[in-house]
Amino acid sequence: MSMGDSPRLEIRFSVPSDPRYLRVVRCAVGAVAAVIGWEESDCRAIALAVDEALTNVIRHAYHNRTDCLIQLECRESAEGLEIMLLDNGDAPDKSKICAREIGCDQPGGLGTHIIRQVMDKCSYEESPQGNRFVASKRLRKTT
Amino acid sequence: MKISVREVGAVKVVEVDGEVDLGTSPLLRRTLLETLPTVGRLALNLEAIRYIDSSGIATLVEVLNRSRHLKKEFVLFGLSPAVQEVFRLTHVVRIFQVFQTEQEALGIP
Repeated sequence: MSMGDSPRLEIRFSVPSDPRYLRVVRCAVGAVAAVIGWEESDCRAIALAVDEALTNVIRHAYHNRTDCLIQLECRESAEGLEIMLLDNGDAPDKSKICAREIGCDQPGGLGTHIIRQVMDKCSYEESPQGNRFVASKRLRKTT
Repeated sequence: MKISVREVGAVKVVEVDGEVDLGTSPLLRRTLLETLPTVGRLALNLEAIRYIDSSGIATLVEVLNRSRHLKKEFVLFGLSPAVQEVFRLTHVVRIFQVFQTEQEALGIP
């Protein structure tokens, strides 16, 4: 950081892959979004998108094991919010992401649709550190 | 999350209070699927749901499909703002019978 730059909010979680911790993350992410400047309904949507990404890791990367870890970074950026998840489970099958039609009467497969509707950008990649999910959303200022 | 079931005439009403996510949706699923075969119409009150994710939506869709198979009615009422937002994001509102009030969901004119 150079002189004159304002420090920005950044929180890092090490989250067990146990669904009972999802609420903690939702509360924290929603609070970060509110501080950055989103309205309440947008904060709920952003928290939902992060919850869905974590849920996907728990279900598909860790196959509902509750004794694994997920690294989560949530940071304020110059344009809005950036989210990063890192896990060491099975890599996502990209052919199945958003493969199901939205609004149909088949259960399941809605999480990634929600993430893509809420966030402006999202991507999945494999790295030496594990499976990385990155998403960002711009704050559109009205004034 | 708290769930309770009560009978109103020939209808059973399931009340849910709290947050529905990957951790809590299995209890909702079990309650709805166990109650459904015992009635002609099952009404789910969503007024006190403060949060629902895609696992909760998937549960509702699964119960709807089971109700069609069993020739039962599965209806929703009292959608909270949190539920309405997720229904909008997932475009599922059109597949359910949704009522504003319990009286309407019970079929009482």
